[in-house]
Amino acid sequence: MPTTDSELRREAIRRTLARRAGGTPDASSVAKATLGIWHQVSARLAPVIGARGVDALFSRSLQLTSAAFPWLAIIGENMESADLLANIETRLAWREPETALEVSYTLLVTFTELMATLIGESLTGRLLDPVWVPPSPASEKEAGS
Amino acid sequence: MSKKVIIHRLATGVPGLDAILGGGLPELSFNLIVGPPGSGKTTLAHQIMFALATKEKPALFFTVLGEPPLKMLRYQQQFSFFDLDKVNESIRFVNLSDDFVTGNFDQVLARITREVENVSPALVFVDSFRSIMLEARHQPAGTISPQQFVQQFGIMLSSWQATTFLIGEYEAESEHHPVYTVADGLLSLEQSVYRNSMVRKIQVLKMRGQATSPGMHTFRITSPGVEIFPAPIVRRDTVDGPITSRPLRSKTRVAMGVPRLDEMLGGGLPSGYSLLVAGPSGSGKTILATAFLAEGVRRGEPGVIVAFEQTPSHSWVRTLDDLIRAGQIGLINTRSLDLSIDEIVQHLTDLIFQMKATRVVIDSLSGFELAVAPAFRDDFRESLFRMFAVLSNLGVTVLMTSELEDRYIDLRFSPYGSAFLTDAIIVQRYIEVESHLQRVMAVVKVRASVHSTEIRRFEITEEGIVIGDPVLDYEGILGGQPTRVKVSSPAEGGKP
Repeated sequence: MPTTDSELRREAIRRTLARRAGGTPDASSVAKATLGIWHQVSARLAPVIGARGVDALFSRSLQLTSAAFPWLAIIGENMESADLLANIETRLAWREPETALEVSYTLLVTFTELMATLIGESLTGRLLDPVWVPPSPASEKEAGS
Repeated sequence: MSKKVIIHRLATGVPGLDAILGGGLPELSFNLIVGPPGSGKTTLAHQIMFALATKEKPALFFTVLGEPPLKMLRYQQQFSFFDLDKVNESIRFVNLSDDFVTGNFDQVLARITREVENVSPALVFVDSFRSIMLEARHQPAGTISPQQFVQQFGIMLSSWQATTFLIGEYEAESEHHPVYTVADGLLSLEQSVYRNSMVRKIQVLKMRGQATSPGMHTFRITSPGVEIFPAPIVRRDTVDGPITSRPLRSKTRVAMGVPRLDEMLGGGLPSGYSLLVAGPSGSGKTILATAFLAEGVRRGEPGVIVAFEQTPSHSWVRTLDDLIRAGQIGLINTRSLDLSIDEIVQHLTDLIFQMKATRVVIDSLSGFELAVAPAFRDDFRESLFRMFAVLSNLGVTVLMTSELEDRYIDLRFSPYGSAFLTDAIIVQRYIEVESHLQRVMAVVKVRASVHSTEIRRFEITEEGIVIGDPVLDYEGILGGQPTRVKVSSPAEGGKP
């Protein structure tokens, strides 16, 4: 049972990815879902910390994640985040669905945890929680039992 | 009936700020908070914002270039006023840096207007103003100038029905900015570093429509946030404090808790008086002060001690410790070296009210001077005067100790010329008698009262101070080398 804030958020990220990518997703729908979530994250954060603030966090998360998935590393720095995202979408779409899902999940977790180390769990939660899909009543019942 | 507009004053939630503003922040005013980097501008703004923002009266905080918002959020949430529940609820942070980089001032104004219209905030903050001015230099020709921007911004502000704040660094004097004229309120923060101490000061340079407290006020930033220590105003005994209503200098006398000392003082220390106990190191000043407080406790007169000196654990110190621990005596104990006297006075006043204290001990003025930041030492006498005035207004009886170099060539009571400020003086000294040091004590002054002029020997025992008979068998005591005189009275050998 997840208890800590960060565990709960990991659950929420997994749930959101699964919901948005559909039942048995192919890589391209995973890629599309990923992009959708990123846009939402960015839309919520940019007003507060500025688009450049979001870009900086995103680049750092990408760098951290590509340690485990070297093919994710983007050659040629200083890309606009829009280009960066488009690039990632393409790369994800070429992978196996499971791998794409795992990479997308890792990237989001890395990003949110990076944020939490900077501004704390609570504030991260306040800013980003609306992005995640809430637990469905069924799974809640499951969790409660 | 008056049909004049009533200006509501907002309680800022910053301790001491409302007082120096002259009763709070006028609602719908346009204020500037200026000061060098690190002077606490953003913290002050945040503290005001978190105190005032509610769901019904939300706040908008625009960040512009200056401090990266992530950093700001990271550090500001360390303060206890930073209420996470208010973020995105009643407080919205909006970053404008992208608008500044990509657009021009027109666009920035449009963006600000849009955000304000969406939220209809009661409070608007823009941090920092200087970044806007700096950015202005890179604006393409043909767009509006910073002056125009400020003017338009000012006009917009007045139409929003919001209390607004621009936060910024002070530009050089040469660049006298129109915004300073437009603003209703101007708060200036500064920090000065002198030797090894840092002192923060705040000044209300302008606040339309109300009488502010003039001059510099010190403040401190700790985990609860900013706390301002308004410089006490020496009240004129006119409207708010008529002399007749003060029962301060009544005829009642305060018992000192040392046998025979009351007698020397002419029946105890007149209540409301300030007494200076001057003497060399180890002469028994603190013990006298302790006895004074302990006697108060015994008589149901609570006391407060401001201690600047480390005291060893003697039996009489333990008495003091016990009384403090039992809550019968309030303690202000400080060893930091960056205090302002105003800060001490603030704490002291609070504690006096809280304890309903009538007796106050300051031990010692010498330690006090050391604890006060070097920047204030030049004004030490002046500040002492203010402190005495405040204490005297409160009607408490004050005992201060002052370390005195034992000089035998002159008779001095304090190194600060504070002697004339006090109502009564007791001096303690060492004398050499037959190759032994002995202690003597005399009452030098008790304003408007008869008192003993005898020099008496005294001893410090486990029970405290024991005052002996007058020294009749020696003369030249104050010179430090008494010579025996022939006395016919039986008081000879008047050992304590």
